[in-house]
Amino acid sequence: MRLFLISLVPVLFALSCGREDVTSDSRPVVGFAINTLNNPFFVDMKTAAESSAVRENVRCLVQATEREMDVERQIQIVENFLQRGISILCITPNGTEAVIPAILRANGRNVPVVVVDSKVDARALQQAGAHIASFVGSDNVEGGRRAGEYIGDRVGAGGRIAILEGPPGHETGESRMRGFREAAESKGLEVVSSQVAHFDRSLGFQVFQNVLEANRELQAVFACNDLMALGAVEAISAAGRGGSIIVVGFDAIEEARDLIRDGKMAASIAQYPADMGEVAVATAARIIRGEEVESQIPTRIELITRENIDDTN
Amino acid sequence: MLRSISAHRQFGTLAGLVLLCAVFAFLSPYFLTVSNLLNVMQQTAIIAIIAAGMTLVIVSGGIDLSVGSIVALAGLVVGDLLHQGFAMWLAIPIGLLAGFILGGLNGLLVAWTNLPPFIATLGMMSVARGGALMYAGGGSISGFERSFRFLAEGEVFGLPFPVIIMAAVFGTVHVVLTRTRFGRYVYSIGGNEKAAYLAGVPVRFHKAVVYGVCGMLSGAAAVLLTSRLNSAQSVAGVMYELDAIAAAVIGGASLLGGAGTALGTLIGALIMGVLRNGLNLLDVSSYIQQVVIGAVIVFAVMVDMNLGKGLNLFRAQRETP
Repeated sequence: MRLFLISLVPVLFALSCGREDVTSDSRPVVGFAINTLNNPFFVDMKTAAESSAVRENVRCLVQATEREMDVERQIQIVENFLQRGISILCITPNGTEAVIPAILRANGRNVPVVVVDSKVDARALQQAGAHIASFVGSDNVEGGRRAGEYIGDRVGAGGRIAILEGPPGHETGESRMRGFREAAESKGLEVVSSQVAHFDRSLGFQVFQNVLEANRELQAVFACNDLMALGAVEAISAAGRGGSIIVVGFDAIEEARDLIRDGKMAASIAQYPADMGEVAVATAARIIRGEEVESQIPTRIELITRENIDDTN
Repeated sequence: MLRSISAHRQFGTLAGLVLLCAVFAFLSPYFLTVSNLLNVMQQTAIIAIIAAGMTLVIVSGGIDLSVGSIVALAGLVVGDLLHQGFAMWLAIPIGLLAGFILGGLNGLLVAWTNLPPFIATLGMMSVARGGALMYAGGGSISGFERSFRFLAEGEVFGLPFPVIIMAAVFGTVHVVLTRTRFGRYVYSIGGNEKAAYLAGVPVRFHKAVVYGVCGMLSGAAAVLLTSRLNSAQSVAGVMYELDAIAAAVIGGASLLGGAGTALGTLIGALIMGVLRNGLNLLDVSSYIQQVVIGAVIVFAVMVDMNLGKGLNLFRAQRETP
């Protein structure tokens, strides 16, 4: 029996980390089901959401899945939030359509839902009879378009370029790609390769090694997120072709910014996850106070290059 | 008294589960409610059903790393058939059959080519995942009829339907393992394959069937998952194999083969489910949750092994004059 008690030590340890008295706190509770905390993007969002909660005088509970694409686990998190009792749900969907059952559960308990960062399939939402109060996030199509225009201006018409795609069917990745392809077409660029690397750094490395091998004359690559762009940069330097290929990413995470300063990466589209977290919780608080909110709340995006990197944050 | 308790090998795990629940009940006012306990069981059902099949495989002395990928592929088969207008009662058995065939392929490889199960099923893990990605072009098949959604969302006499399926699966596996010749053969193969063979047990056949059944139960889990998400996804079930193995091992199954029970595995799966649920309710940071879950797996198995040793010692002392 003694060993049983020992086995509970890690649990108790975890519970003692920053616990506060749950029951005596009467502030409204915002449940924030966030994609994953393995990505600095979402860590920034979480930090901002929590400080926004302090300003708005609400409690913000943040729970993340262990893996980025694990929708089932995200539904579990939402169910557990609802068991606990929350006033409002903020969620960054792990799947465009598969997250809808979670939204339905919240609707069933009259808990309003604010979708953050990546959109939910509108048609499927309607079919399921689910309802969201608001969407907070950046316009990914516009971001992709700016990346396409930038590359177009750098390499000129006829430039040979590659795309590293996110997971197929992932709304965010596909919107970025759609915007990028529109701009690439109007600038007369030639897309010689467009491969899936699942928003993953090591996959970005592997896939781009193959792309480089197959396309000797490649001039530029657009990666639908920075992790894949970082992988691509490593592949380029591993192939001894550093500096010869323009790499543009998306998200402008810290490591990408460092590479842009060093000139190893040309540009990245900055989204402001901190803005998203802050606006999401502020919007949630407005809904709790009974205010009307807009159905789409865009957060800012910017093209970050070596020239403007120190003027932006 | 200790003697009769020690006869039930899953006592240690059950005590662990009860203690865990007691701790969460003490720390969170939201844990010990009927609706939350049903919620936990409902959340555990999918992994538990896979773990039931995994128990058979582990008892037979093997391991199956391909279950998560089989979940994805079988789920897509069912989703695709439903979208093509097949009736549910036809699409579901075909999905189970797909799981059985994929699992059976593992079994054939393990039984007839003497490939280590780790390697054979590692191969299948990749093949089935690739197959799933090809099948759906990397995407998903979404949107099903209300009647199909009932499988995961419905309730019968207040019990979530997945919980009923889970109970039925574990009841069946329990009976098969404890009351049938098939079960005895599986234990004997896992205990000592050579001895089983020399005693006339059709070793190869039983091994192949065990993997087939594990695949079929993964197919059953796939049906529930597809219904729950209202979507069959090519990326579904990633790393489910590890949860299923953990559930079986926490429940007292030995990776050396020959030991493991259906009930123990069910309790093991519930321990994992309760942990995730309780840590969510207490708003424990997601990072710490992973640490805790890993630590509990290791401790639970350690406790189980030591408890068994202690009781055996006790028994040996009593029986020595």
